[in-house]
Amino acid sequence: MGNFSAKENKLEDLLPANTLKLRVEQVNVKREIKPAPSRYRNEIARYVIRRNEDCVMCGKCAEICPNGVHVRKTGYKYFLEPKSDLCIGPVCEKTDHFCVAKCPHNALRFVENPMIKALGDCRWTSDLMLATWKMAETGQNPDEDFDLEYECGDSGGGFDRMRIRFPERPAVELSEDEIDTSIQLNRSNDGRPNIKIDVPWYGGGMSFGSVSNTTQLAKARAAVAFNTFTCTGEGGYMERMMPYDDHVITQVATGLFGVREDTIQRVPIVEFKYAQGAKPGLGGHLLGDKNTTAVSRMREAVQGISLFSPFPFHSVYSIEDHMKHIDWIKHINPRALVSSKVSTPTDVDMVAVGSYSAGSHIIHIDGGYGGTGAAPDIAKKNIAMPIEYAIPKVHGFLEAEGVRNNITLIASGGIRSASDIVKAIALGADGVVIGTVELIALGCVRCSKCESGRGCPRGIATTDVELKELMTVEWATQRIINLYEAWRKQLIEIMRKLGIRNIGELRGRSDLLMHLDYTNDVESKT
Amino acid sequence: MSRDTIQKYLNSKKRLVDNLELPRIVRKGEEEGGCGVVGFCCSEPVGGRHIYEPSRQMHNRGNGKGGGIAAVGFIPDQIGVSREVLDNYYMLHIAFLDIDVRKELEKKYITPNFEIALTTKLDTVDDWKAVQGLEVKPPDVLRYVVKTKEKVLNKFIKDNGFEGMDRDKVEDEFIGQNSFTLNQEFYASLGEQKAFVLSHGKNIMILKVVGYAEAIVKYYKIEDLRAHVWIAHQRFPTRGRVWHPGGAHPFAGVNMALVHNGDFANYHSVSEYLLQRNIYPQFLTDTEVSALMFDLMVRTYEYPLEYIIEALAPTTELDFDRLSDEKQKIYRAVQATHIHGSPDGPWFFIIARNLIKEKTFQLLGITDTAMLRPQVFAFCDGEVQVGLIGSEKQAIDATLESLAQEDIRICPVAEKYWNARGGSHTDGGSFRFDVKADDAGKIRITVSDKFGNLVEMPEAKEACDFSQGISLPPETENRVQTIVSGRFAPGNAYVIFKMICKLVPEWTFDEFRLACKQIVNQSQDASKIEIAIEVLTLLNDRIYSTGTKKRSHILHIVRKSLDKIFDSIKSICADSPGGHFRSIDFDSRDDLRGPAEGETTLVINADRFAPEGDNCDAALLVKAYAKGWKKFIVYKCRGQRYIGCGLGPGSDDVYIDVYGSNGDYLASGALGVNISVHGNAQDQLGQIIKKGKLVIHGDVGQTFMYGAKGGDVYVRGNAAGRPLINSVGRPRVVINGTCLDFLGESFMAGDPHNGGGFVVVNGITLDQDGKVIAMKEPYPGSNLFSLASGGAAFVRDPKRVMVDEQLNGGVYQEFTDADWKLILPYLEENEKLFGITIDDLLTVDGEKQEPPMVYRKVVPAASAVSSSKVQDASEEEEYADLVLE
Repeated sequence: MGNFSAKENKLEDLLPANTLKLRVEQVNVKREIKPAPSRYRNEIARYVIRRNEDCVMCGKCAEICPNGVHVRKTGYKYFLEPKSDLCIGPVCEKTDHFCVAKCPHNALRFVENPMIKALGDCRWTSDLMLATWKMAETGQNPDEDFDLEYECGDSGGGFDRMRIRFPERPAVELSEDEIDTSIQLNRSNDGRPNIKIDVPWYGGGMSFGSVSNTTQLAKARAAVAFNTFTCTGEGGYMERMMPYDDHVITQVATGLFGVREDTIQRVPIVEFKYAQGAKPGLGGHLLGDKNTTAVSRMREAVQGISLFSPFPFHSVYSIEDHMKHIDWIKHINPRALVSSKVSTPTDVDMVAVGSYSAGSHIIHIDGGYGGTGAAPDIAKKNIAMPIEYAIPKVHGFLEAEGVRNNITLIASGGIRSASDIVKAIALGADGVVIGTVELIALGCVRCSKCESGRGCPRGIATTDVELKELMTVEWATQRIINLYEAWRKQLIEIMRKLGIRNIGELRGRSDLLMHLDYTNDVESKT
Repeated sequence: MSRDTIQKYLNSKKRLVDNLELPRIVRKGEEEGGCGVVGFCCSEPVGGRHIYEPSRQMHNRGNGKGGGIAAVGFIPDQIGVSREVLDNYYMLHIAFLDIDVRKELEKKYITPNFEIALTTKLDTVDDWKAVQGLEVKPPDVLRYVVKTKEKVLNKFIKDNGFEGMDRDKVEDEFIGQNSFTLNQEFYASLGEQKAFVLSHGKNIMILKVVGYAEAIVKYYKIEDLRAHVWIAHQRFPTRGRVWHPGGAHPFAGVNMALVHNGDFANYHSVSEYLLQRNIYPQFLTDTEVSALMFDLMVRTYEYPLEYIIEALAPTTELDFDRLSDEKQKIYRAVQATHIHGSPDGPWFFIIARNLIKEKTFQLLGITDTAMLRPQVFAFCDGEVQVGLIGSEKQAIDATLESLAQEDIRICPVAEKYWNARGGSHTDGGSFRFDVKADDAGKIRITVSDKFGNLVEMPEAKEACDFSQGISLPPETENRVQTIVSGRFAPGNAYVIFKMICKLVPEWTFDEFRLACKQIVNQSQDASKIEIAIEVLTLLNDRIYSTGTKKRSHILHIVRKSLDKIFDSIKSICADSPGGHFRSIDFDSRDDLRGPAEGETTLVINADRFAPEGDNCDAALLVKAYAKGWKKFIVYKCRGQRYIGCGLGPGSDDVYIDVYGSNGDYLASGALGVNISVHGNAQDQLGQIIKKGKLVIHGDVGQTFMYGAKGGDVYVRGNAAGRPLINSVGRPRVVINGTCLDFLGESFMAGDPHNGGGFVVVNGITLDQDGKVIAMKEPYPGSNLFSLASGGAAFVRDPKRVMVDEQLNGGVYQEFTDADWKLILPYLEENEKLFGITIDDLLTVDGEKQEPPMVYRKVVPAASAVSSSKVQDASEEEEYADLVLE
């Protein structure tokens, strides 16, 4: 975790002995790309290959297909259902290994998967989801042959109408290892640790209860691998998370579920969640069905009852209360950085400056695009300001106030791709927080059933004992690591093309962006 | 005032607004949240120096970007005018950000309109940078003592059809409109602000700066400027670069000044309401529109104060139902008419005003209906009376301390401290102090609530003359000495306390002072320090009859004695070994070391420690704990926060005793520590507390035990609003008084009979002799256990006063023997701690009753239907997935 380790900064001078006694050995997770194929036999694909009864099992298709679509297990007579997700689609028609054309018995057909139309939405297009799955599977960008649009969605606004303006040739030619994607999280010079993360993003808060412990652990382990952070969300800090303490942000939210002095003390960053962009002013809620024994024990609440986090903090109704709140956390944990997560009302700029003067190290603004199925539809995208408006507003105001370089500005709420990250930073953020995309990497199909019943049918946002068995920590960790790595590479590639050595130099460079609606710029694929 | 006259007033303003062609949309210029507010009034005029100390202590409620003070009721000599002029002329205080416009401004707005009795530029120190706490040079302030010229006023009357109306009132309106036009020309309409009116009214002054409020006292050299009423405000604007003081509080109405702590959610709506009445905000902050609203209600609608407060903070829910039919009718009309002007959101106002007709100076505090901002009222009776209002009790203590230093007749301990219950049928969420000459011409203060009901003060009136030393005949001295020292040995503290208690009613103050002095003397013997502290602590914590003597003065004597003992404890730096106690203060903080052989208790003198941050006493305490100290006494607190926080898990063997004005967040996060607060406690106590024992010998403030997970907690007095919200786990709480409202909202503390939590509300108070008296209502609020899903509340309600409507999510359940067995040990401990006996609690109208007849049980509706579920093995397995082997 950055340049802070227990030894250098003498953790024992900062934390009470009993808290240190609780500390367990920190686990290292290697940043290693390994294939993490879909955990379903047939992953959803854009095109599907259908095999009819004319097939004589000659094996020609398996022979010619370089992508492994057609599989016959050893010792078996029949083929498995074609692994359509490996099929590169229409581009194959022009090749010499197009199975449909080459089949001697015309037993294969190639159709667009009708399910694709129902998959995703304008912001999270099926292309984006399929591409994210590919990245999570391989750690690479999806093969160009798949022709997936993974930079933008199709919402017709926001980041989706913004493009990065690449120069014909970068001012400086940089090699990959000259490019630095790390960011500092403490800019306040207050003597607290100068935490640096290797990539300009960290994982957003998802409570145990909203997601399974497997999901939480996978997020934490990936955070270790990339020397960044994950956040507990508001559902307590499970013991199994403790080997990753140095990469965990303890969230203090309005319900104060599972927040204790020791959970505040054991981490390097504490986040106040004042509001969520997906549902500002609505607090939090976990419906009764998801409040299982384990969840209720973690939160010390009553099992089976819907749990509400109020809005707002009952102890914070003003900026001076906010300062008192921050001072409290700083007192309990003398090494902690404090992040204030707020949604984006029209006066978010004032909120940000207020948070700065109240002593936050990080101001985390959460725009209206985020949110999973648990946020009410009426709130999602309808209350908070879109993040692309909020970032420059806050960035500009902090600059005008002369404090921009003393606080870290983190943006979130609908960051879906490496390209989104670049846009957010070019608009003025220092880094971003991601949420939904990690769940997509684990196989989320955005069915928006996160909150109902026992939760996610894909075993991600669930606490059901059976459903959560649908994935293992190892697999889930690898998926997120692979996604992170693919993003990191994309980021470096973008920076290389822009001739930017350090991601910090990109901050506020909105001149490197164009908005298709407001400029005469013509979209050009680069 | 008749509808016709009201309309004339509003029309006269319309002309004004039309002439200026103002845009008809108002947007808030800046956000601001809370702040620190304090105000006090005194039956004798006192110097500005006394607003200095409380302002300084509330530093951490502002950020140095705006401060202001106001004063009402000066002495003619100090202003340099006659009594007649002071009473009848207006004082205009105008701030010049650019002194070059003075001539032009005077030519346009002063000389043509007014007969001028006096023009002075307020004296200042030469170098503003020499004054701590100023961000930019404060404005030059000119004071004009004026009266409107006859013919100018006549013309104003004629132009607006004000004939036949009270001439003084019309003049008020003229003054207001003159200032408005002036502000528009020299302030609001300009890109660069040059001058504005700070205050306009009779016998009133407002000063504001970009900086901290107390800097005003120094910069304008008003330490010795005496007035009856003072208010101050520390501002925390979120916009960082505020270079002019226009947005700082207080804001002026004619003859009034208002400060505000909070933030409106409906600024736009309130502004619209005002615009419809041709009132146009010029400084674009919440506070300005509050002052404008209040001014409108007072001068245009001429509502009595009760209705004004109703218009601002409407009475709702059960409280509304409890009003008389007649009141309901009026209130409904007031609400319907003015609801759009009612500020929505957290706010607390302190208003100082001069009621000309009533010949009264008034200090007024009003809280919003939901009581979302902290507020404390206090009154100090005696030869000199002081009424106080503040965001924090420590500001009140600091004021009294400061006043007492100058005038020995003022006791630093007030007669009474209390909170207002917003929008209630009981006090209406507001209290006022009226400073007025009585029939004999002596200026006295009356304290009353929104309805005009006088606030009851203790009967004992005999004061101790602190200016005199103890003087007793030798035989009396001997007698007292024998009583104290006779049995002064470890283990006897309670016996000695009881003995003294019994004698206090008949003793003179001098006898009591001597007894305390003897106790202090005993403590010089190192082996007797502990018992000396115990006896005095009991005398401080318990309520016992003081006869005709003022309890506040008795307390003052006890506290001074305790401080004396603590002060005399050997410093941590002292070379000589021995004794169980060591003390540490701000100067010796770097000499902190672990306890030597035999040393058990570290006494921390909190005075001069910062209230938060690396240099606060709470941080020192954590460090001392790390070095091996386990027992602590923290005294001379001045609002220091976070005491007992940060000790981490396993602090079960740590004991902290806190004396003085402790601050917010005490014990928030406690994981085992035992803390006793010997006095009232502040806000946000025991937040997320998981384990440990917390004893409060007094009242606690807002959001007590928010998100708590456990802890055994005992409160002798009341809890303010919203205690135990979102509590889970197993908190076990006894509140002997009651709480304002929202007790146990979203309470989720399991099954109390199966390791869960509960709260006992006794709804009693102790009278001046320490006898248990049941309150009229054990719980006055409209919301108990709303949204709750676990735990239980046991309310002492033998008369069954509580009704279903108050539960809002809870249901009554039969109070069983098992319930009694559950709470009995806690009531026994409660008896031990506070002397509130179980017998007394079970006694109703002089007869002892069975527990089920006395207590009622409230459980969440949700848990009443779902029977407790038995865990199966797979669920155990599920939990095992979360924990380390």
